[in-house]
Amino acid sequence: MKSFGVGSGFGEALLSLLQSRGRVFGPVRGADGICRLGPLSRWSDLCPDPPYLPPKKYLFPPRERLWSLAADEYRRNGRCAEAMALVGLAPCDLRALAYLDRVFADDPHYQERRRRTLLVGTACTPTEECSCLVGDYPPGDIFLAGDRLWCGSAQGEEFAARLLSVLGDEQDRPLPPPEAAGRPASNGRLLAAFGRSAEAPLWARIAKRCLSCGACSAVCPTCTCYDVVDEALPGKAPQRFRTWDNCFFTSFALVAGGHNFRRDRAERLRFRFEHKFFGFGTLRGETSCVGCGRCARACPVGISLEEIRQALLTESPR
Amino acid sequence: MTLDFLPRTAILEEIDGQVPDHHLFSFRLPDAFPIAPGQFAELTVPGIGGFAVSTAAFVGDHRFQACIRRIGRVTDALYRLPLGARVGLRGPFGKGFPLEEFLGRDVLLIAGGLGMAPLRALLQALVARRGEIGRLSLLYGAHDPQVILFKEELNALARQGLLDLHYTVDFAAEIPWRIGGIACQVGLLPKLLDDVRLQPRQTVAAVCGPPGLYRCVLDELAGFGLAAETIFASLERRMRCGIGQCCHCAVAGAYVCRDGPVFSLAQLRRMEGAI
Repeated sequence: MKSFGVGSGFGEALLSLLQSRGRVFGPVRGADGICRLGPLSRWSDLCPDPPYLPPKKYLFPPRERLWSLAADEYRRNGRCAEAMALVGLAPCDLRALAYLDRVFADDPHYQERRRRTLLVGTACTPTEECSCLVGDYPPGDIFLAGDRLWCGSAQGEEFAARLLSVLGDEQDRPLPPPEAAGRPASNGRLLAAFGRSAEAPLWARIAKRCLSCGACSAVCPTCTCYDVVDEALPGKAPQRFRTWDNCFFTSFALVAGGHNFRRDRAERLRFRFEHKFFGFGTLRGETSCVGCGRCARACPVGISLEEIRQALLTESPR
Repeated sequence: MTLDFLPRTAILEEIDGQVPDHHLFSFRLPDAFPIAPGQFAELTVPGIGGFAVSTAAFVGDHRFQACIRRIGRVTDALYRLPLGARVGLRGPFGKGFPLEEFLGRDVLLIAGGLGMAPLRALLQALVARRGEIGRLSLLYGAHDPQVILFKEELNALARQGLLDLHYTVDFAAEIPWRIGGIACQVGLLPKLLDDVRLQPRQTVAAVCGPPGLYRCVLDELAGFGLAAETIFASLERRMRCGIGQCCHCAVAGAYVCRDGPVFSLAQLRRMEGAI
């Protein structure tokens, strides 16, 4: 992969180049001490901590209009997606976006934004809650580690070409391996254990602590469940939105007439675990948990997917 | 394939209100709406909301027909619409009943409550090719005689000798009850299975009804000797998108909206939590 040394002043030069193209977002520490993805105005503002919410919020916004109805016609109010750059993304978040690209492969709303989004990845130091995957990760368009830069796409190379004055030697180098806590991406043993675990006591035991608040899904970089909500305000055209939903909410599997297909918390906990580690539909068999640790940090009662994963591997009946 | 969230405009053309709170709505679209038995559409009452509903008819032209229970905010708004009102329609979605599996065999349909609506579409498709199937039976269970849907059509088919029809209800004011000349039992649906003479090896079954029905009836059918590959059930789930995205209907790794809603018992047995 094409790689360059980076000299002093590189960050600010890259940022101003990205800003000339569109909006730029990166992890920035707020006045409350929390690191969030937000507008990045100075390169030195970049915060090394994992941002509280993952980058999905820019490509799959919490609430987005699907259509509005005027003069008997349903229209996708087609405001063109603005160009943006997401900067300072750790390998886990890059993995998560690569997964979302597949979940929303046929989704025009997501894809329009995605086509105009540039990803700048960065090496990171795992925290206590992280369980990074071992192995290759997608580099984004540009990837930064130490005093080097890697070009992950043709667009990344174009940007590097425009920054040559602040770049050093060009070499062909592999991406640096992630500084990983090291969870294997293959899931065979886990799937077998999961399949035997329907009656296992671990679900009820862990769910007993769960508050069903849904924080874990909200902060998850690959959770994309949504609800569809119609709205008609006085004097305005009827509109339909999709809004982030949450599989921990009691109404998630409720149908007309009152039957609930996942009435208790243990069932919902198991459902989320299944989605994270084994996927649904065409992505069945693939893990979507990138090990970012956000759910564990956000959970008010200290439940983590890693805890469940370990319990499953050790307790599931043979 | 690009996913489309935009409904088409359909016009409410006819309402058959024979059964209270279970009206049969007919809509007309500007283009053909090729929906097959077992498939579903999303109906939108503009400004109120949308919901998934199976086709209740085998038509395949510019019409869409659905039997819709008045059960919540959106269906209530639909019931207040006048004829000629405009609604939104998306679809067709999902995989329907595999008709080719039914040809050349005896067919047993088992409907519980509103499950009769999707099975009516299948029944119409089968009657259209009546010469190509053997014995055609319908076991239909409802809460009480007043909420038996499509009874005139069903009785007419039975009288013409095209359909072997059996009713049962949970509650009835008097026993024995007759519905348009057809005997109606009081009791649970599986009881009706005692009345049909099955030739299991050559029978295909389609079942549609509330979740409780599947738990008792599907394995019972297999117990009679029907192959699990020839017992079909249509699953109900909360469906918000219809295109395998929003995750509400997911079960055992499958999206009911896209991979179903019709599954064979052989498939369902591999899908933990499906029934």
